[in-house]
Amino acid sequence: MTTLTVTGPSLPRVIAAEWTKLLGLRSSTIVVVVTAAVSGLVTYLSANASSGDPGFDPLDSLTTGLPVAVIGPLVLGVLVGTGEFSTGMFRSTFAAVPRRLPVLVAQVVVTTALALLAAVLAVAAAVVGILPPASSRGITPDLLSEGTPQSLLGAGGFLVGAALFGLAAGALLRRTLPALLATIVVTLVLPVVLLLASELASDPLAASASNTVPTRTAVVNTIITFTPTGAGSLLTEPSSSGVDGAPNIGALGAALVLAAWVFVPLGAAALRLRRRDLV
Amino acid sequence: MIEAQALTKRYGPTTAVDGLSFTALPGTVTGFLGPNGAGKSTTMRLVLGLERPTSGTVTIGGRRYADLDAPLRTVGAMLDARSVHPGRTAFRHLLALARTHGIPRSRVDEVIGMTGLESVAGRRVKGFSLGMSQRLGIAAALLGDPGTLMLDEPVNGLDPDGVLWVRKLVRDLAAEGRTVFLSSHLMHELALCADRVVIIGRGRLLADASMPEILHQSERAGLVRVRTSDPALLVPALLQLGGDVVAQQDDVLHVRHVSLEDVGVAAGRAGATVLELAAEAGSLEEAYLRLTADSVQYQAGGAR
Amino acid sequence: MSGHRLLAVTFPRVLAAEWSKLTSVSSTLWIALGTVVSTLSLAFALGLFVRAGDAVSGASVAVSGSLFAQLGMLVLGVLVGAGEFSTGTSTVTFAAVPRRLPVLAAQTLVTVAVALPTAVVCLVGSALVTTAARSAAGLTLDPADAGTVRILAGYVLYLTGVALFGVGLGALVRRPTGALLAGVVLFVVLDQLLATNPGRITDVLRAALPAAGTRLFADEGALPTHLGAGGGGLVLGAWVVAALAAAAYRLRRFDVT
Repeated sequence: MTTLTVTGPSLPRVIAAEWTKLLGLRSSTIVVVVTAAVSGLVTYLSANASSGDPGFDPLDSLTTGLPVAVIGPLVLGVLVGTGEFSTGMFRSTFAAVPRRLPVLVAQVVVTTALALLAAVLAVAAAVVGILPPASSRGITPDLLSEGTPQSLLGAGGFLVGAALFGLAAGALLRRTLPALLATIVVTLVLPVVLLLASELASDPLAASASNTVPTRTAVVNTIITFTPTGAGSLLTEPSSSGVDGAPNIGALGAALVLAAWVFVPLGAAALRLRRRDLV
Repeated sequence: MIEAQALTKRYGPTTAVDGLSFTALPGTVTGFLGPNGAGKSTTMRLVLGLERPTSGTVTIGGRRYADLDAPLRTVGAMLDARSVHPGRTAFRHLLALARTHGIPRSRVDEVIGMTGLESVAGRRVKGFSLGMSQRLGIAAALLGDPGTLMLDEPVNGLDPDGVLWVRKLVRDLAAEGRTVFLSSHLMHELALCADRVVIIGRGRLLADASMPEILHQSERAGLVRVRTSDPALLVPALLQLGGDVVAQQDDVLHVRHVSLEDVGVAAGRAGATVLELAAEAGSLEEAYLRLTADSVQYQAGGAR
Repeated sequence: MSGHRLLAVTFPRVLAAEWSKLTSVSSTLWIALGTVVSTLSLAFALGLFVRAGDAVSGASVAVSGSLFAQLGMLVLGVLVGAGEFSTGTSTVTFAAVPRRLPVLAAQTLVTVAVALPTAVVCLVGSALVTTAARSAAGLTLDPADAGTVRILAGYVLYLTGVALFGVGLGALVRRPTGALLAGVVLFVVLDQLLATNPGRITDVLRAALPAAGTRLFADEGALPTHLGAGGGGLVLGAWVVAALAAAAYRLRRFDVT
């Protein structure tokens, strides 16, 4: 102990500590690898399935793997957010950092870093995934074509956002199963529910009759726009002018919606961490 | 009676238990010792059939655990005091366990009383201290009134009253003719309650002997400690008697091969003033440390 | 203690023990309650979008909360199947019942005993909260109609099946989060993914997924021609049997730690 100089925790040190913890877990590596693999595979299968279509554009399939690939970052975030509490690790963690909030900030930083890595790999895998179907039709996909760079950027942003949403929900709920369930319902099940609702709301007869959007459709589409998944699809489809009847919030608005899904629960988690006892 | 025959358990390349043979006899408290990672818990799980041996056998009263019709009636075990659903009350935990064997509710109340859990039996286990969990684990082990008890670290986390209670309990159970097999790292405690000791290291048997035999292995066994103001007079006298004398600090001499009485007599004859004279008892701790010196897996502050 | 000879592990006793375990944790009640509330809310909300002239039956409006109901059932089953292992209770349980398989069988039965009534409550409750929506759209719910009965019974059967699949998955994976994730991927994500890429191959794949069980309560008109309600039910049944069999194999052949 004679040569060991010990000083108090600082944010960079807490970040370094959280980074060590994150990389020490096997699940971190698994999440990154599986996310990239799933993204590439699903994109390939999807592009391959539609490569026979007459107007096939491989770039259209670029984000088809996203709904499945998003599970990886989501789980990563939830595991980081709840890990301290589900394992009892928090006792030593918050004994070392009694001000507590730096730990949450550090978790945001390291989760963003790892999710970014997963996102870059997943997007790269998706690009690789469309190449074989494209070449089978003799098409060379132009990644710099109108809207494509922004779409790829949006896909990456959506994946990182999902990880942070998972982290926020995890830090707020502190228990893995409920947090996982909540994030799954919001990101995966809610879109299906809304899809169902919009199918019910759409009126095949009225749609052709006039240009006005029925109120029910507008309501459902507005809700869709403000869900994480809806905002995510706006991010990846920059050319779209929103869905029928919903306010056109654009890519920037979509990014803000996604940010709100992250920062509202994160703020609540910070408040809980700061104000309430750790049990 | 627990009988292990060449018991071996491998997990891939790691050998947790390596050709282990030992017997825990009825009417006897058998202490089970070994450094962390020596394979004690694995051995206990093998006894309960929770894990299958790679080779070798372990039987209770001559039968494999999985072949028992009423396992809780034959063996009561506590492996990990935390093996309880945190959301369940202590009473419900014991009741569910009792129901698998048709053990009446009255027996559940009985073991709750025996372990002193009456006041907390209706509380969820989530809020239990380690000591209370430990008592609950022992209650579960006693539930079937078994002929063999197997306890992993039963006094871990107990208060002094609890430690005393466990000591008396295991002695009483053995006196009733039951087999008691327990592991502990608390050497003083074990020295007080065990009749026999099985020591393992890195999965292998290091010793299987009675407590006196084990104590005999201690470095201090047979050592006489004498403090004198006249070592110059006493040492030659002791050497003459054929003793081995090692001078320690503060005028203390460690003498071997001369009995306590003979040291006293020799001092009197030599005219040496004796300030202190005692026979050092062999300690289990020392015997254990000697036996396991080569097989400690995790050494504190070890060679870097 | 008297009558020691009577003590022995029998299946009815293991069943009683598992029932005692399931009913002694409050999470069981909360999951059942949460399932019913979320299912009813969803059915009510979706009922608001139903209008006269829509190509849906009254029965399908009553079962429209199924997306949430199946999640609740999955969680219920997963917690029963994986709970032993995630809480460490497994060593105590399987030391008491060293033959192990009776425990899994008992867990399956007690899960049915909770899932089936919960599904019925979801059904009846959903039917009640959608009454206004149905009458506004002129849709009837006729218990004498064979098609209606098939949908209502199919809904209850499907939800119970999902819970059983959860038990198998939980006991196989032994970790509740992993099992829940696998269940959601199999029941929701893959099905939706395939649904967005319609085609001959994807249709066949969809029919082979456990989500094919939803055909048990799909409207006659919405059923694909190649695999109907009964076929979908059989597919789900096969997944349930496969999951439970795999769990039984792992339990029987491998160590419990």
